[in-house]
Amino acid sequence: MKRPQQLNNEINTAILFLLPSFAGFVLFILIPILSSFLVSFTNYSGSFAKIQFVGFRNYELIFSNTKFWKSIYVTLIFVASSVVFQLFLGFCFALILNRKIFGKVIFRSILFLPVVLSSVAVCMAFLFLFHPTAGPVNNFLMSLNLEPVPWLAHKDTALMSIIIVFVWQSFGYYMIIFLSGLQTINPALYEVADIDGASEFQKLVKVTIPGLSPVIFFSMIIALINAFKMFDHVFIMTGGQYGGGPADSTRVLAFDIYQNGFLFWQIGYGAAESVVLFLIILAITVIQYRFQRSWVSYDIV
Amino acid sequence: MISSKFSMQPRRAFLKNVIRYLLLILFCYLILFPLVLIISSSFKTEKEIFSYPISLIPENATLKNFRALMENFPRYIFNSFKITISITALQVLTATTAGYALAKLKWPGRGFIFLLYVSSIMIPFQVYIIPQFIIIRSLNLYDTHLALILVSSFTAFGTFLVRQFFMTIPDSYIEAAKINGAHHFYIYSKIVLPLSKPVIATLTILSFRYWWNDLFTALIYIISKERKTLPLGLADFVSEYDVYYGPQMAASLIAIVPVVVLFILAQKYIVQGVVGSGIKG
Repeated sequence: MKRPQQLNNEINTAILFLLPSFAGFVLFILIPILSSFLVSFTNYSGSFAKIQFVGFRNYELIFSNTKFWKSIYVTLIFVASSVVFQLFLGFCFALILNRKIFGKVIFRSILFLPVVLSSVAVCMAFLFLFHPTAGPVNNFLMSLNLEPVPWLAHKDTALMSIIIVFVWQSFGYYMIIFLSGLQTINPALYEVADIDGASEFQKLVKVTIPGLSPVIFFSMIIALINAFKMFDHVFIMTGGQYGGGPADSTRVLAFDIYQNGFLFWQIGYGAAESVVLFLIILAITVIQYRFQRSWVSYDIV
Repeated sequence: MISSKFSMQPRRAFLKNVIRYLLLILFCYLILFPLVLIISSSFKTEKEIFSYPISLIPENATLKNFRALMENFPRYIFNSFKITISITALQVLTATTAGYALAKLKWPGRGFIFLLYVSSIMIPFQVYIIPQFIIIRSLNLYDTHLALILVSSFTAFGTFLVRQFFMTIPDSYIEAAKINGAHHFYIYSKIVLPLSKPVIATLTILSFRYWWNDLFTALIYIISKERKTLPLGLADFVSEYDVYYGPQMAASLIAIVPVVVLFILAQKYIVQGVVGSGIKG
């Protein structure tokens, strides 16, 4: 047993060690998270003198605003498609690179490279590539006698273009996670499957996917949160601070919060939107945790 | 990997292999093409940038695009380095001290505080940016570099990463040092930190990469031209009326080069950061 004196010393030391991080964490992360809810019940627009509690007024305004519903729609389309494509491509290339491949390290590095790059710079490059009249992509399509695509300039294709760039930049991240996950699957399981005469496809479905399921589950959660956070691409590629794409077709919730809170100074309204964003992410995460029991297996060794 | 030669005809296996290599080459091409285009367009005249078919080597290589950046970009680059290095250094300090308290010291409430850190990782920045902005404004720090540095130097993710690593250092090392009369600060700086070079390298690189590339935080807190960072300076092109692609590509190249160098030198640590957050989480 420790004497109380010694335990006290340990607590004092712990406070000292924790303080530099925890003070900042509380002031700039924890308190802001908690007070998001508080601000969303006020009409705050930049001055404390005029601040008033307005109850659920901001939420009523949000839910009766068609722009908000459009933004929810755009967000969900963006999140769903980018998560599916990121994980699918990440998974495929992890499977390919998990084999004997000549030049494996180089292929892996190139596919992962975009993850580390500035998304602003990447978006600048795609703004040029996707230029509707003189861009290289449309020039290429026309040289094949195909119709040019308006890409970022039209409401029907702008969101798709953003999804392409977003997936281009980030599927390598999931590839790396899946690759290291694949290496934890016991090779004996494949040997057993081979002895049983299992086909490649059967091995994929019966061994690889179950073995990788905890990693897939984790990646899904990370990918969802990252997709809900996406902001740079919309800002850079569809019109800057007053943007949001042709006919608001790329106005994701993260961008709408930015505009309402920091451009139009409807801070209470923006805070209410951010609470909604938080609740959506929370709901999806909880559903995923509930749902995981049916497909994630942690007991395969 | 287990070879499947026995269960499949050699021709089919060969064909599958060909498809694999074709996919790899196609996607590597799709990734490298835009990057090569940034490099080559930076040295082209505006007219040549839009000429088709595209020439990868500029016909009349010019530094004009870089000269067009001379007015503002040296300032932006300086600001970006200053802010990124400050944040990275402070993150390493706060994450390792807090990681030590969370992994190697025993005190009541430790589990709860750790849970607070971990759950905050899951919450997107946009959820709490508004109250954080209000706090910074009340501290009279709006439009200062200090604001950016302060809000970014406390990393729940980094603390988590470091704490997980510290957990793998045997407690017996610390007990042994204590018996020899060492204080915790001595143990932290002379025993634990030297053993933790890999995780410190990972955190340094991930955090440098993140804050070098960050647009959103800078967009919220910085408004004056002379205080802007490189991504903010780049974003200014978007709202300009006369769009010239040459200087944009040159500026993008400048933004990309430092992280690419970092990537080439320290890919191992970046991958470890990605995997470490993924698998052990």
